[in-house]
Amino acid sequence: MANIVGIDLGTTFSALSILNAIGKPEIIPNADGERLTPSAIFFDEENSDIVRAGIEAINSRHLNAQRSVRWIKRHMGDPNYRRKIDSKDWTPVELSALILKKLKQDSSVEHGDICDAVISVPAHFDEVRRKATMEAGTIAGLNVIGIVNEPVAAALYYATTRQVSGKVLVYDLGGGTFDVTIMEVNGHDMKIICSQGDHALGGIDFDQKILEILEQMYKEKFKAELIGSDEDRAKYEDEAEDIKRTLSRRDVAKKMLYGPAGNMRVEITREMFEKAISPLMDRADILVEVALGEAGIEPAGIDKVLLVGGSTRIPLVQQRLEKVFGKTPQTAVNVDECVALGAALHAGLTMLREKPDIMPAGISSGLMDINLTDVCNHSYGTICAPIDKETGRRVIQNRIILNKNTPLPCEASQTFYTLKEGQAEVEVTITQGEGSDVEFVNNISTYKFELPPDRPAECPIKVTYSYDVNQRMHCKFEDVESGRVLEIDLGLDQDGKMSESDIKEKKQQLSAVGRSKVE
Amino acid sequence: MPVISPGFIGRFRLRVLDYWTKLLEMVDHTVFRDLANQLRMPEKFGKVKSRFLHQAQPDRVQESSPPIDMGVLNCRVQWTKLEEDNNVFDAFSLEICGLIHAPNDMCETTLQISILDVTDGAPDAKVVQSRLPQWSSQDGPDPSAFCYRARLGKLPHQVTTLSDWTSIAQIRFDWLLFPRKGKRQLQFNTSILPADSNQELAHAKCEFDCENPAFGYMNLQENIERTNILAVALAFAVSAADNKLYDCEVELIKNWARDNILENSASDKDELKLDKALEKTIVFFRGGNKLDTYNICDEIVGIAPVAQRYDILELCLYVAQSKGSVTAEELTFLKNMAEWLEVDTNRFRIMMEKVLPVDMHEVRDVEAILGITSDMSKERVRKHLNKEYGKWNSRVTNADPNIQTQADQMLNLIAEARSQYTAEAIVS
Repeated sequence: MANIVGIDLGTTFSALSILNAIGKPEIIPNADGERLTPSAIFFDEENSDIVRAGIEAINSRHLNAQRSVRWIKRHMGDPNYRRKIDSKDWTPVELSALILKKLKQDSSVEHGDICDAVISVPAHFDEVRRKATMEAGTIAGLNVIGIVNEPVAAALYYATTRQVSGKVLVYDLGGGTFDVTIMEVNGHDMKIICSQGDHALGGIDFDQKILEILEQMYKEKFKAELIGSDEDRAKYEDEAEDIKRTLSRRDVAKKMLYGPAGNMRVEITREMFEKAISPLMDRADILVEVALGEAGIEPAGIDKVLLVGGSTRIPLVQQRLEKVFGKTPQTAVNVDECVALGAALHAGLTMLREKPDIMPAGISSGLMDINLTDVCNHSYGTICAPIDKETGRRVIQNRIILNKNTPLPCEASQTFYTLKEGQAEVEVTITQGEGSDVEFVNNISTYKFELPPDRPAECPIKVTYSYDVNQRMHCKFEDVESGRVLEIDLGLDQDGKMSESDIKEKKQQLSAVGRSKVE
Repeated sequence: MPVISPGFIGRFRLRVLDYWTKLLEMVDHTVFRDLANQLRMPEKFGKVKSRFLHQAQPDRVQESSPPIDMGVLNCRVQWTKLEEDNNVFDAFSLEICGLIHAPNDMCETTLQISILDVTDGAPDAKVVQSRLPQWSSQDGPDPSAFCYRARLGKLPHQVTTLSDWTSIAQIRFDWLLFPRKGKRQLQFNTSILPADSNQELAHAKCEFDCENPAFGYMNLQENIERTNILAVALAFAVSAADNKLYDCEVELIKNWARDNILENSASDKDELKLDKALEKTIVFFRGGNKLDTYNICDEIVGIAPVAQRYDILELCLYVAQSKGSVTAEELTFLKNMAEWLEVDTNRFRIMMEKVLPVDMHEVRDVEAILGITSDMSKERVRKHLNKEYGKWNSRVTNADPNIQTQADQMLNLIAEARSQYTAEAIVS
């Protein structure tokens, strides 16, 4: 049987973990011997088919920032984002695929073929971003058997390596995203209650605040700009990151700034840093409260706070949590690696559920007693036209059918009615998002559902959505009177109806990533 | 919405521009404004509200006493109470007596009742309309006219005489839509027809006076048109709130006026009249003049349903939006207007969020944007802001980049407001 792996495709760092013979996950170091690989890419100046990923890409960006890409996860699923290198416009999916290709390639050297994988994503990632992540894996040559939420993966690893029981709040502050997940844990039995997340809150935002302080200090002394080029920016971004790390251990960080108008020695105190990041930390605090409110739990009702992600090393993070919960957060497991390790466990559980016959006995017995109940990460609905009770007018509205945080597997139905006499078809739209306003939800897909002719208005259409543990959604639209049915599968691994342009784009992506020699 | 005859619309349209002239006379003298402000007492609002929502039962004005000639068919009407599904409704009870000629014995018959409003005299009689489709005269000249049809049964003889008043129908008052509000004189027309033809066997009519407490269909149409005029006035007032009338604002208002005040079939002359009225209004506002907007809103509340008030507010929001930013004066004006139009605060806030995203506000009124009110405790503010945060956080990944930006800005605003308003109310 091929290896089963879990991948943490992070904003700043990525990691790959493999399930060993007894079902325990282990991190596989990259070709440089590092357990974490920077999620950075550099396109060779002579030959853009040669791509450097990882630490070499980080170092190379100081020399030519235009040919380097970082923090691509922030743009995942954004249809408008393109990075032009020479004549090629690279999409976030392709760029992520290059990082995954590097992880796969490095791990294969010692462990043979890497194929079946689960990739982790932030809990708040929507359908589009999840699908994009899955596509990146496929383009990189992986068989992506599932997607797991990062805090769930971390908690999975945590609960299988520590004695845990009660309500656990997973506080996952990574390089680029923030998630908070509340779950009920009883030994190896884990039930997710709810998740909240911020797509633009993480270590790189804290680095940015330090960079702003440096720029301000330099400007005050020399009345000149510290940063004059993309390469300068890349260099000082790294300096800022270094200062941040230092301030997690010490009260003061000292640096020399070698700017165009002269050099200067700067001292950044932890107090200055904490003041600068305070608005960002406020956002994290609110999300913790929003999640607690969603779960209907008071802070005192949380038994353990589990820290995940490198940014949780910042003392202010821990202090703020201690103030809210009245207890010290747990940092027992490796905050940088636990997501990848948990993702491998999740991959094992998925394989055990889908293909139990081919699972080696050692892995099966290692995973057998783990029971994970996940939830719907978003609400799913459809667009309808009810009459507004207040105005008596028909309004176009999103009606939620499957509510966010419903335990999986789940199914829910609602009945709607045709509007017009002789209505020959109904446009059915599947939406993702909260609330009734159609402008504020995302349309996942729209189909035409043909109806029998010559019928009066108000014929019932029953809409049923179901969501399984593999995050596959099944939508059924049923014309009750005729029994006519339209069924749509919206699994992350299913493309549904692909347009010709989609197929063409996918081929181009496969060819671009396949052609690239990742080092 | 009741359908009215095109002739009526035509006649009414001539009055539209007269309204405008009156409107322009409402120049906001300080004394008048002060007086208006003084009138803004709860009692006043209560009165205004009840004016529109009032759906009182009809007063008994008169019971009919028709002359009886037993050689013909007679009818009379009386008030009665009808009990249906545990509810009691006021109704007209119709009775007949006298002679009916049929083509043969045991003739199967149908009863048909229609009602005319003859308050303004027989030549100006107007139909009473039906609120229910089943009692509409679907095949008649006016499809919305009330027409009650029911099986009457078999007449035993070719000549049948009903010597006593016989009850034949009870018509609920709330099924009917009268032309106008107030004291009405109704003419009930009762016909007896063979079941298989429209050849009338007998006919009787009687008159009956009653009080209609609700707006009639002519009032409603007039109210719609009057409200549209007032809406244009308010839209100009919003535009002029910052003492500047931008061309884009004027253009938007003009287009709205043309779409909503002129019918599709409007003549060039009508269009010209409207344009002249609009130009006159623009000059009025460019001259630094103001309207008494409180009184305009007060009038609208009295005549317009909530849906139309939302339309007005939406128009005014789009006027404020059209130049790309909204001034503090315009925001204050809109806020007051929403209050005076008795639009729910939350509904107004949702409308604002959609039309005037926060980056358009030249001055940010955090409380108004986030729905924080002075009566909220710190704990309530915290919970309210958490809810708002959750709402906007789910919009950050919206497919529309403008909504993404708006959501980001709202999250920052909420985070700022939270530290400002709930500094001491951290979770314990």
